[in-house]
Amino acid sequence: MEPDTVRKVFSWLAALLLIVGPLLFPEAEVYLLVFGLACFYAALAMAWNILALSGLLSLGHGAFFGLGAYAAVLLQQKLLMPVYPAVVAGGMVGALYGLLWGLVFKKLRGAYFALATLASLEIPRVIVDNWESLTSGSMGIVGIGRLPALDLGILTLPVGAGLRSQYYFLFGWMAFVTVLHRQALRSRWGWALRAIRENEVAAEVLGVNIYGCRLAALGLSAFLTGVCGGLYAHLMGLIEPAMVFSLQLAAFPLILSFFGGRFAVFGPLIGALLLYPLDQLVLQPLLPQGHAAVYGLVIILTIFFFPQGLATWFRPQSKTS
Amino acid sequence: MHPLRELIIRIFPTYKREGAGLAHGRRFFSLPSAFFSVPLFLALILVCVWTGLAFAAGEAIRLGEVNPLTGNLALHGLEIHQGIEAAVAEANAQGGIGGRPLVLLSRDDQSRPDVALNQTQDLLYREKVVGLLGGYVDSLVGPISSLAARQQTPYVAAASLQQSLTAQKNPFFFRVSSMAGIVQPLSRFLSDVVKPQTVAILYTATPGSTEFAASVRDLLIQQGIRVLVFEKFRPGTPDFSMLLLKVREAKAEVLISGGFFPDNLLLVRQLREQQVPLQAFVAPWGVAYEKFLRELRQNSEGLLGMCAWNPGITYPGTEAASEAFVQAFQARYGHLPNSTTMHGYAAAKAMLAAISAVVEQGQPLSGPAIAQELRRIDLLLPMGRLRFSEYGDPLEYQQVIVQIQNGVLQVVYPPEQATGRLIYPLPHSGQE
Amino acid sequence: MGIWQQAILSGLSLGSFYTLLGLGFSLIFGVTRAFNLAHGDFILLAGYLAFALWHFWHLPFSWILILCMVSLPVAMLALRELLHRLPEPFELNSLVVTFGLAIVLQNLFLGLFSADYRLLLLPTTVVLDLPACSLMMTANQAMLLLGSLAATAAVYLFLYRTFAGKALRATIQNREGAALAGIRVDQMQLLAFGLGGVLIGLAGPLMAVNMYLHPAGGLEPTLIAIILTIAAGVGRTGSLLWVGWLLGAAESLTALAVGSSWRELVSALVLLLILVGRPQAGAKHDIAS
Repeated sequence: MEPDTVRKVFSWLAALLLIVGPLLFPEAEVYLLVFGLACFYAALAMAWNILALSGLLSLGHGAFFGLGAYAAVLLQQKLLMPVYPAVVAGGMVGALYGLLWGLVFKKLRGAYFALATLASLEIPRVIVDNWESLTSGSMGIVGIGRLPALDLGILTLPVGAGLRSQYYFLFGWMAFVTVLHRQALRSRWGWALRAIRENEVAAEVLGVNIYGCRLAALGLSAFLTGVCGGLYAHLMGLIEPAMVFSLQLAAFPLILSFFGGRFAVFGPLIGALLLYPLDQLVLQPLLPQGHAAVYGLVIILTIFFFPQGLATWFRPQSKTS
Repeated sequence: MHPLRELIIRIFPTYKREGAGLAHGRRFFSLPSAFFSVPLFLALILVCVWTGLAFAAGEAIRLGEVNPLTGNLALHGLEIHQGIEAAVAEANAQGGIGGRPLVLLSRDDQSRPDVALNQTQDLLYREKVVGLLGGYVDSLVGPISSLAARQQTPYVAAASLQQSLTAQKNPFFFRVSSMAGIVQPLSRFLSDVVKPQTVAILYTATPGSTEFAASVRDLLIQQGIRVLVFEKFRPGTPDFSMLLLKVREAKAEVLISGGFFPDNLLLVRQLREQQVPLQAFVAPWGVAYEKFLRELRQNSEGLLGMCAWNPGITYPGTEAASEAFVQAFQARYGHLPNSTTMHGYAAAKAMLAAISAVVEQGQPLSGPAIAQELRRIDLLLPMGRLRFSEYGDPLEYQQVIVQIQNGVLQVVYPPEQATGRLIYPLPHSGQE
Repeated sequence: MGIWQQAILSGLSLGSFYTLLGLGFSLIFGVTRAFNLAHGDFILLAGYLAFALWHFWHLPFSWILILCMVSLPVAMLALRELLHRLPEPFELNSLVVTFGLAIVLQNLFLGLFSADYRLLLLPTTVVLDLPACSLMMTANQAMLLLGSLAATAAVYLFLYRTFAGKALRATIQNREGAALAGIRVDQMQLLAFGLGGVLIGLAGPLMAVNMYLHPAGGLEPTLIAIILTIAAGVGRTGSLLWVGWLLGAAESLTALAVGSSWRELVSALVLLLILVGRPQAGAKHDIAS
């Protein structure tokens, strides 16, 4: 068999395992939770990477995440909005903040942009932390209910009822974000993003609308991250400013994307689906106190073996892919 | 193929960035066997699954524990962990429960809520534990408690304060500490004994500390004490000079700090360096610890702290049990236990008592049966009497006020437990 | 008016501390483009070394400082050996590898020094006390101010007055150009890591004296170093001190005027103003593309 065919077969087998696997293990609720959260982080990593593909690395995605989480919960509590519309609206709030970045940081690139995003993570956090009458400040909001059944017209998915349906919901969310992530790599817009990333001047000469393409990536990335924030509030049942406006929420997707391969459609996804369960299901139970050190070593070694990320294994070795 | 794509490939034939690294393209490893590493990864996970499931069956009674063992909260997480471990070892030394040994499975939540969820789930489903213990702050205890309810497994938290958590009426959630047991003795002590005109309150931007600060402020204002400074800071703030300057300018007599261990270390260090003229410094968390004294040495003289227990400070009538615990603990770990350790120990003791009650009645060890017994227990522990309300709050939890005097913690309030006299105002070391 | 002067004085001292945390990072990043996320953990390493020397051998603080400044370059050169072997793309891979390294170091500290918080205590004295305008300065604040001023001045003099320093600066500005002019870029990298190690060796003990040591405490210094380095502009040692002072003073004044819960907001706004207001904030020093 050709190596390419092997890779393809392997990828499909992995996907099949993820879809059918939970049906085969009636007892394995742990895997449903851990792989569900892995899907969640995969979606978060891809959302982050959509912006990174345009050449801008953000350290402030926690701002979208936190705004999404707080907006979703407050819209439900104060305006009695239904859950899913509120979560989507939370994503919109994140996207609005993202568009604001687009306006203010128009000229910033590289490390300067990264630092600006880091600084703009603090702004909503401090405001939420101090606006006690609206957000209950540092006390956080507790007692957030689970996700209700999702009515899709043809079928109703009882998302919060059990871990299995929650898993499939998060899997579906990941699949949705994967499609968008693929667009950001393979579509005409994706190629434009790549041109911007490689050489802005040349791209402009070609007639690529640099600002528009970037703004679209930023808005989409912020929206998806905001939706993830709203979902997170319901998955955890409580939110606090320090928990959702966290540097971690940009750093983790960054590590997952680089680990998996940030220029591959399935790169961040592979990073999340391997690294997160590895830590949670294997290292933690075996080494309750030393697992983190092993986790760090795994990251270091992977970069030496796969400098472009794990996903480089899955695709042809030629450079033009 | 898009025409755009074709053009781009023409213009950018090389995908690689121009060499910017240290060593241009020199590879340390080249590994064709990387080909196999990905399926190996998945296989490894699956193997661990099945071995885990195989181990789960057995005679032993399995208890689970989730604590922050790494990360920011590791200090107190490890203390609670040792307290729980000590209680389980003690029960095993006495032959287990009903002849069955106890197994404690410890997990690290890395001070992150999603990890706490995963590890709890792992304990519940794969390890089939009958009860859950541990947990240091409310943002980590909250997710664990809702998962415990879903799986109908009782959870006794060692350190949880926020009132909204028990307000959720979760029948499987219990905790050995409560906000009232800290706020009430502190405000009585201030209004009955110290009687300051003015206080300053500094607290951290965390739920527990915020609730503490607001409750204390309201109670003190009722007593006619003026709160001159009421400010919050981020945990881990590197510099308290400005807050201390405000306290100094406001001429507050007493400074109440809602900070945690590291914040109080820094706060006291800077307070001493800058010689802020205070009559008293009180902090419910962090001060009443040997480690605090050890790090700050003579700078800690005269500070007021709070604890539920400490070696030598125990609830009347439990002196022998307390001493035995200290002896056994020191033999096992080589250092002394403290108040946080005792919280872990007390949580485990409650769980073990409920389990043995269920076993004695000859019932199977189900979650609802253990939770039922937890609601009925009435234990006398070194930390005090332990009974739970219907929704898991401890009914008798009361901390005492201690003062650091000549490098020793002395109880100064309440009077019936006092071992020393309050030194007031605060002596200023390094001045005379 | 006294309290405002006091706020500025405290802010300057805090800002000097920030500068010291950032100096080593800035040099190494400038020369090698290595984004060292384990920077703060190396500072912690120096801090723990200082703590051990003080706690177990009771050495005087000046000796401790010298020993740390001598031994940390060794650790940094070891780091350079590791990073030297990194495959392309170098900058981004250095980011991920040092992230992993930071986790490993954190757990090493946890194993060696336990999760306890550690302080290095020096006899406290007040060096400047003017009660009339309520101005005071503690020995620690003075040490921070003088220590980082001296370090910045030394680095500045080295970069602008010695041949090696000029070569280093040339390498920071344009690696290829410097190589064409006959500068051994490899040696410049060794020099930068060594010098960075000396600065980290100075920052660590000062951190132990002014704050506390904790295994998970490396993140804050790393963040401060990144913030200062980028806000000042890569390789610009002089501006590092200005940015440090500006941030320190802004934080102190906010804490005094509005409340300490707002200080992060103000420092974020100051940073954004610096970044957006900078005329050449363009693509010159891309770390990521």
